[in-house]
Amino acid sequence: MRVFIAIGLATAGVFAIAASLAPIAAQEGASAATPYQLPPTHFGSENPQAVHGFDAAPGFANAPVPRNPLAPDAKVVGQQTCTACHSKESQTFAHTTHALGMQVAFTANPDTATCEACHGPGSTHAQNPGQRGAIIAFTKDGGTPVKNQAESCLGCHAGGPRDHWLGSIHQRNQLSCSDCHNPMAQFSGEGLQARQSINETCATCHKDIRQQFNRRSHMPLPEGQMACVDCHNPHGTINVALLKTDTVNETCYQCHAEKRGPFLFEHAPVRENCLNCHTPHGSNQHALLVAPVPMLCQQCHSHTRHPNDMFNEQMLGNAMAPDERLMGRGCLTCHSQIHGSNNPAGPRFHK
Amino acid sequence: MRKRERKTVLQLSLLASALWLAAPAALAQDSGLGTDLQFGNALDPSGGTALLGCDPDGATWLAAQRKRTPTGFLYPCPPAWPAFSADGTWRHRGSLTLGYLGVWGDGNNTDWRRFSNWDDDVYVGADLRFEKAVDGSYFDLRASHLNEDSQYVRAVFGRAGKYRVQAFARSQANVTSANARSIWDGVGSNHLTLTGGLVPAGSTSAQVAAVSAALPERILKVVREKQGVGISYMVNRRWTAYANASHESREGARPFGGPFFFNYPFANNGGIYEIPRPVEDSTVNFNGGARFVGNAWRMDFSYSGSFFRHANAAFDYEVPFGLSPVVPGLVSPALTTGQFSYEPDNDYHHLRASVSRKIAWNGDFSLTATGGRMRQNDRIVAPMTCQGQFGIPVIPGALHDCSNWNTTDALSRKRADLGIDTQMVDARVVLQPTDTATWRANAKFQREDYDGTYWMYNPLTGQWGYPAENGSQGSVVPGEAGIWDPGFNSAAPTRIRNLPLDRELHQLSLGGDWRLGDKNTLGATYTFERTERTHREVATTNDNSLKISWHNRALDWLTLRANYTWLRRTGSEYDYDPYEFTFSSALPGYTGGEVAHTVSALRKYDVGSRTQNKLDLMATFTLPREMTLYASVRGDWNDYDAILGRRGYDTIGGSLQWEWQPSASTVASAWYGYDRSVLDIANVNDAALTADPTLGGTTYPDANRWWINDRQRNHYAGANLTRRMGRVTLDAAWDWTYSRGTTGYRYNSPGALTLPTLDPLLTGQFAPMIHRVNALTVGVTIPLHPRVSLRIFDRYQRGRLFDWHYAGFEDGQVYDHRVYIDGGPENYSVNMVGALLEMRL
Repeated sequence: MRVFIAIGLATAGVFAIAASLAPIAAQEGASAATPYQLPPTHFGSENPQAVHGFDAAPGFANAPVPRNPLAPDAKVVGQQTCTACHSKESQTFAHTTHALGMQVAFTANPDTATCEACHGPGSTHAQNPGQRGAIIAFTKDGGTPVKNQAESCLGCHAGGPRDHWLGSIHQRNQLSCSDCHNPMAQFSGEGLQARQSINETCATCHKDIRQQFNRRSHMPLPEGQMACVDCHNPHGTINVALLKTDTVNETCYQCHAEKRGPFLFEHAPVRENCLNCHTPHGSNQHALLVAPVPMLCQQCHSHTRHPNDMFNEQMLGNAMAPDERLMGRGCLTCHSQIHGSNNPAGPRFHK
Repeated sequence: MRKRERKTVLQLSLLASALWLAAPAALAQDSGLGTDLQFGNALDPSGGTALLGCDPDGATWLAAQRKRTPTGFLYPCPPAWPAFSADGTWRHRGSLTLGYLGVWGDGNNTDWRRFSNWDDDVYVGADLRFEKAVDGSYFDLRASHLNEDSQYVRAVFGRAGKYRVQAFARSQANVTSANARSIWDGVGSNHLTLTGGLVPAGSTSAQVAAVSAALPERILKVVREKQGVGISYMVNRRWTAYANASHESREGARPFGGPFFFNYPFANNGGIYEIPRPVEDSTVNFNGGARFVGNAWRMDFSYSGSFFRHANAAFDYEVPFGLSPVVPGLVSPALTTGQFSYEPDNDYHHLRASVSRKIAWNGDFSLTATGGRMRQNDRIVAPMTCQGQFGIPVIPGALHDCSNWNTTDALSRKRADLGIDTQMVDARVVLQPTDTATWRANAKFQREDYDGTYWMYNPLTGQWGYPAENGSQGSVVPGEAGIWDPGFNSAAPTRIRNLPLDRELHQLSLGGDWRLGDKNTLGATYTFERTERTHREVATTNDNSLKISWHNRALDWLTLRANYTWLRRTGSEYDYDPYEFTFSSALPGYTGGEVAHTVSALRKYDVGSRTQNKLDLMATFTLPREMTLYASVRGDWNDYDAILGRRGYDTIGGSLQWEWQPSASTVASAWYGYDRSVLDIANVNDAALTADPTLGGTTYPDANRWWINDRQRNHYAGANLTRRMGRVTLDAAWDWTYSRGTTGYRYNSPGALTLPTLDPLLTGQFAPMIHRVNALTVGVTIPLHPRVSLRIFDRYQRGRLFDWHYAGFEDGQVYDHRVYIDGGPENYSVNMVGALLEMRL
């Protein structure tokens, strides 16, 4: 493991050095109206450093100023106007990577849009701060339609995981980006969430799903070792249930690759869909099973001889007629390779 | 580090290097691809921000009222990040935490230890960030160590807007049993041998029970060790590229199984063994690609690869009990060892290309195509591991030479050579011709092709089939060895080949959304999906579904969302036995009588017809005094067109959540949730081995019908409070879960039972299955110095657990020829006290 980490970090480090020296493609200058001439204020760092003649981060250097349909005549005023009033916001914003990138781009080119790259041109808002919709706001009473809020964010963040945002279930339910994200402060360790973690963000609305993870068997999401987005892409996908992969099973194989096979002897409902037997968010049964064994298996099996007896409490370990088909792991004590067997004597998953 | 591990590490390193040489960029794991997106642990699931506390100055000086999301939830207070210290070119902030966790009480409990493996241990944590304002470079490090099985370190560095590199290493525990009594030595190895002087195939039940009872309880666990590196690079305004690689190893043991034929009909015979199965494997995952975003076009090209490897092909285990033929006076050769094959090494390749373009009417068109292959070509192990002979002597055809079955020469081929090819094409268009209307259409084609045929033919003997259950079945019952030949065993029913499973899906979806004024949005989507399957009971299924959604903000203080889905699945004629071609009855020369494969009225619920209704309601109430109330209800009702099998599965649940943030010094929340499910199953016990598959016939008489009703009820509740009092911060968290499941049954006559004589003793249901956990954590954070603070906390957790599968295991885990190692869920009461000293840099 240590060798792997060392090699991996060394490789990445060499790459990073090479990348930082690589030439950047010619940038298109951001089109912005001449900013008003206002007194300078701090932005981001307590010790701003104005240095010229270095490469600005291309992503932030070309941030477009989104159009605000509710203030079509507004003009760009520049960040100094914004931070003159919103100094506390800029202090908390300074802890984010957005702020870092914007600061570098702004220092290289004072015409670069920073605050207004997200909030749109600010002149109307500066003249009448209380007017709703005068600036692109991302909060409940801000006055900006959800559609325009999303367009602002997608001005820089289009594509990639958000490729299928339009028409997705969250978009159709009128969710804004700012329902889940809040880039004005670093609330979470990952993803600029609106809450302390990805999972808490999803649980804001999907508490009924989150509570299932408190059941007896669950994946380690409450323990902070995985996130909802390990399986789902909330920004929209072409797959069922916002899954990130083409099928349910391929989602599961991301962490359970040993189940992928293919096996010499397949178990048909397993290959069809893992959710035929498992419920992914939490179960009162062992191993996320939908039903107690052997009843789980008896939903499909009624072969002659031993699968289709009706089991009862007198067949348990402390009763009259202990029966291995019911005790402990039940059917799975013998049919252990239930996900498939690669043994030539395993068609019934015994080996 | 073993040879295979070194090879894996080398492969991964070469892969990473090749990436650096060949690819201009890579993307770190994101919400669109990959895993490992959350780094936290049971002490702090948030991964660092939860323990920061609130910035005392809040989010703004311009308004007293707190901001809310567009839906209406309060944004939490900004965390009190330590200020950056500027020292030269780089500025930094961060903290190091050192502490100790002490556990008292029933610390060795599976439920308590499950994913953290809590124990007395030193705690170490770090959260560091360095920034270089000159060029936007940054370096972020987070680390947390609970114990050697639960820890992580994650480093991210890059240049804002240019590139980002993430590297991590993490250990994750999964305690599979904390009260295991293993009569096998060598736990975790490939050879499990009997302990305590037990003689393979020569021990009595009393001897095994005595050894088991004298054993101390031990912990079985599987630990995942994972390392990964990911690179993201913005080539220019249009192109970004990415690559991620990870290596994960799993090591440990878990309760498993081991079949040596039935014990329930044959006292002092057979063998059922819950062995501690070793787990030792590794998976290398890789994904990489490039994304383009332009004014009109968007593209995404990616490759994902996953390579599962196991150092060994199989493991074996000694068994304590001998077997006896049901024919009096005969003695079977002893079978001393059973075997399991590990999961095969497998390779997964997946290519994806997606192209999207803005089109007229403010629309968007996307075309996505994917192709993949899952393949394994493992060496197949021999069907048996015995020496000498197995089976039953004297009876013609019932005794077999091990030398004809314990060699790979007994196989029709030496390697598996199996694969599944996948393809998918998806096209979708979204049009927004006006501000108030959206039209959506989508078509999808998806296919899985199973490639490979395996015949269970032994070229050494000319026989078909396989020795069933490690040779035990044929050692107890004549003619049931699982081996067919045209001679003495011409009537033996057995499997002769594998079962290929192909699937093809065609889907068409049409929908629209309409905005009615500023307050309401309605949506409707119709979807048709046809799925064709090979070698399943239903060749073609057709799903018709209609989904309606409604979003309402008519009241300023209320946001409503409602979604309803109706689905109807129908299909081609149900074939209750599509598997006959895989059995020896399909071979020329088969002389066995025809026996019903199963009851023809049974419907497999994954392909059978059904009607489904789903409802999802969400309401967010914006209350005064910085409060939010949220309520949700979710229901899913499934009615299966089945007399036998799954007949119905209904779930309904809801939650109520209250949040209050009156100031930066006080944050409180409370919630309650409830859900329940009802599962209805029906089946029928067979009365005789005849060819009649009909319900009510000679094989499956009506008198033998039975029904199961499984009801699960869950209550959840929790509350959190954080309060800053002067310089001290108090935090308290309470979580409560109460799950109760009852499995009830009814039957037409004692003919439904294994033992009709038990009929007078039956109550109609099993004892309730209980999982009730109450956890209270109280902590106080005391600043000792501007840069040093001490957090002391106490977590008390109590669990009341009962699973009827393990009833009686507290008195012993050996029942005649059945040996269990896992004691099952147990009650527990644990107190964990921690003291953490945080030092800010």
